Amino acid sequence: MLQTAFNGVVTGVIMALPALAVTLLFGVLKFPNFAVGAMMTVAAYLAFALNAQLGWPLAAAAVAAALAMGALCVGIDHLTFRPLRERGAITLMVASLGLGFILENVARFAYGNSARSFAIELARPFRVADVRMNYEQMITIAVSSAAMIAMYVLLTRLPMGRAMRAVADNPSLALVRGIESPRVIRWTWFLAGILLALGGVLIGMDRALEPPMGSNYLISVFAAAIFGGLGSPLGAFVGALVIGLVSELSTLVMAPNYRIGVPLVAIAVILVFRPQGLFGQPYIRK
Amino acid sequence: MISFLILIGIVICFSAILALALNFQWGLGGMVNFGLTGFYALGAYAAALLMLKAGANTFVAAVGAMAVVAAVCGLVAFVTLRVTEEDYFAIVTLGVGEMLRLVALNEDWLTKGALGLTGVPRPFGAAIAPEYYQYFLLALALALLLATLWFLDRLARSPFGRLVRAVREDDVVAATLGKNVLWARVRIFAIGGGIIGLAGSLHGFYYQYIDPTQFSNIVLAYAFMAVIAGGRGAHRGAILGAAAVMLLLEGSRFLKDVIPALDSDQLAAIRIIIIGAGLILLLIYRPRGFFREYRLRVDFK
Amino acid sequence: MDRKRRRIIQSLGATTAATLGAPYLNLAHGQGAPIPIGVALPLTGNAGAYGPDMAEAAKRTAEKINSGGGILGGRKLELHIEDSESSAAVAANLSHKFINVHKAQSLLGYWGTPEGMSSRPIAVQNKVVLMVSSAANAITEGDTQGYVWRFQMKATDWGTVISRAALKLGFKSVGILGLQNAFVLPIQRVFEEQMKANGRKVLDSLIYNPEQPSYRAEVERVFGKKPEAVYCFGLLPDFVSIMKEVYRGGFDSKVVALSIMADAEGKFVQAVGNKVAEGIRHFQPMPDVAAPGYKKFLKLMGAPADRVFLFPPNTHDQIAITALAMEKAKSPMAADWSKQIIAVGNGPGQEVDDVVEALKLVRAGKPVNFQGAGSTCDFTPNGDQLGRGMGQWIIRNGKSEFVEYAKP
Repeated sequence: MLQTAFNGVVTGVIMALPALAVTLLFGVLKFPNFAVGAMMTVAAYLAFALNAQLGWPLAAAAVAAALAMGALCVGIDHLTFRPLRERGAITLMVASLGLGFILENVARFAYGNSARSFAIELARPFRVADVRMNYEQMITIAVSSAAMIAMYVLLTRLPMGRAMRAVADNPSLALVRGIESPRVIRWTWFLAGILLALGGVLIGMDRALEPPMGSNYLISVFAAAIFGGLGSPLGAFVGALVIGLVSELSTLVMAPNYRIGVPLVAIAVILVFRPQGLFGQPYIRK
Repeated sequence: MISFLILIGIVICFSAILALALNFQWGLGGMVNFGLTGFYALGAYAAALLMLKAGANTFVAAVGAMAVVAAVCGLVAFVTLRVTEEDYFAIVTLGVGEMLRLVALNEDWLTKGALGLTGVPRPFGAAIAPEYYQYFLLALALALLLATLWFLDRLARSPFGRLVRAVREDDVVAATLGKNVLWARVRIFAIGGGIIGLAGSLHGFYYQYIDPTQFSNIVLAYAFMAVIAGGRGAHRGAILGAAAVMLLLEGSRFLKDVIPALDSDQLAAIRIIIIGAGLILLLIYRPRGFFREYRLRVDFK
Repeated sequence: MDRKRRRIIQSLGATTAATLGAPYLNLAHGQGAPIPIGVALPLTGNAGAYGPDMAEAAKRTAEKINSGGGILGGRKLELHIEDSESSAAVAANLSHKFINVHKAQSLLGYWGTPEGMSSRPIAVQNKVVLMVSSAANAITEGDTQGYVWRFQMKATDWGTVISRAALKLGFKSVGILGLQNAFVLPIQRVFEEQMKANGRKVLDSLIYNPEQPSYRAEVERVFGKKPEAVYCFGLLPDFVSIMKEVYRGGFDSKVVALSIMADAEGKFVQAVGNKVAEGIRHFQPMPDVAAPGYKKFLKLMGAPADRVFLFPPNTHDQIAITALAMEKAKSPMAADWSKQIIAVGNGPGQEVDDVVEALKLVRAGKPVNFQGAGSTCDFTPNGDQLGRGMGQWIIRNGKSEFVEYAKP
């Protein structure tokens, strides 16, 4: 029970970074981006290339992959989403679906379908109060928490973060107040790219690298972001923890092969009882 | 060789029916269906199970499959749209589609799980000799495609068709005019679902064997590509789009002969990259595709 | 739909008809029309590693028969070898093509379960023989009208061999983790039944989906009950993630798997490293390498004496049995010769392991009992193969060491 709960926390923490990216992107761009799963995959393979093929330590490879992914996301947005910005959320969603297909298959083209792993020594676990933990899980929790704190500071203390929140709350008002939305969008993508890349590397450490590794998480990550309230960074973190925890705990009482039902039920429950999510602002349609 | 062209013709027909269904839901109705693959599988399984377990004949089974998919689609639309917006709706359809595929994979007692259902009966399967059967199936698929087209054309011209477009363009205005937007959307999604069910039944008739691996998410990419290429809202466009996507795929297959170093995984990857890129480029540069929506005189932004 | 579309085009595009026998055209052997045979093999895709050797075996076997005088009064076998991409829909389209375009009465190869399952109704409807190399029991279950023949151990027999080995290894308690997959489930079911029937404890038996985000919950549930051994039945990608989880979770149950998971031409060890792979046992059906038929096959393939071919000997046997049954029935039509498969495969008659010699005996009207390269080619009336066994290996320092060979 305790062990399963701990496992659930780890699962949740892994999902927190992509959930935060989803929520940031939605807040500023106002559409759910279905390419985030594939973006994680691509970033994980970038880190794999540096780590396993060029022999870099994984930490350095992850940082480099994160920066590269951030830049790549800015470029991708410029090429694909910017020209479609005025066409409405549905067109953007479909474009993101197409983008996801492209990115996942670029990874498949380069590395094939077989499973791969980062060049890191796997270690046996240690025990705390009879709960087995291992170093990679510690790293996962540390990286994820650090990224969340950094993001929180950035969004609340720094001018760019405040600008992002202003755009998220009310784009036209932000424009009136002289906030340059293209610049905000670029920064949002850069940050989302970093978060997604770190998420991708954590997933790759947790299991093995395969082309569908990122998109397998898509439904859970969206569920986490919706549960917490799309647009709310704190909500994304809490939502991820709840979804992770409940998914793992559900295996104690039901067949594990329907775990994917948990995020779905979570979406249904939150939409019925609190459509704006736990920490979200009531959504006002324009 | 001729028999192979016929087989391709059959596949084009039910791909085109699927594209018409998506075109109705998304192109005309403005409702994104990212769970298309799951609903398609539901149609195929429902028809096959009605025949294998309930002993229904092929006609009843196809109609039953249409009803089942329509009901499930309608329910999903009703439950979701009652409380929320289209953005969430896309995510919910994605999740429901995934769930449907998992049910097909895991409920052995009903679907035989990963093993799949064999011996799916086909219309007049006993009455027509095997060597002529494919001609019949092509004729049947073509007839059903034309019937679907006729039905949707009529629907698009009917008052309901105008309501569908009104809801897509501006649901607030539609609501202000006293239209029940939720009910309209539920009907749009359910009708589209019925057509998906028809395509799914044909899939089963053609292969006589269905298993979960036949319903991978690439189906979704191809259907969206067909609709976007054909022009959202344009029925004939969607049909030509489905045929064009097939040609594109066929073209990409020759890459294997040109670049022998590619293995089939890479080839499959390239094919999907082309589809994805085509999708985005069309959205950007040819947002209305190559065909115009019927009777659309006013130019929308 | 992607599959269907791709597959059909596949069949159109990659028409690599390997016409054999033509260079050996010898008027002394008569001038009947060649006999077309459709061969669907996984030349690319997930099982792509296995296809090319099977294609080579098919070509060499047909060549041997053709240069030895062909069948039915000197007619040559003409092979049409195509890539099934290990997929149900491609295989179905290929079967249509073999039957309608090439007029083949014998379809063989069909390595995976989806290929066999999707082609079975086509073969039965068209009254054409289908010879598969796939394991799932369902392929030969029900009424096949004598048209479907399996050249592989059926999945439940895998379960029997693996559970007998488990009893021998003395595990008192086991856990089972199985992938939701058509050929894995019967193995898992039989294994579980046998363990229980022999008084061993099955602490947990779980089924998981392909492509899960993580396998932590499954590993926790099964390994967490601390069984002496955990039997994993699945495929390579899921097994890699599972074993990483097992090692990092600090579980020390012994692990037993299938070779397509734990060996896969060294890909498994490459992905997880020696430490994680150490001590894993794995099983795979293989020919009896000591049998004279297998040794003859190695010579035919021009391979070194210690080479272990897992699947190509089956392809050899499929062609040999097709030729023998046709000769025995004196007809190239499957409706006739499918009834002779058991006669030439099971006997009674003289045991022969060389197909050309066997053909001579059949022509002379003598009864034969053909002994194949991959098995003794004995069949049940419903088309299941008997007389093939499984190899067992154990991973030590990143290398698979052979343990033993056993028949069900």
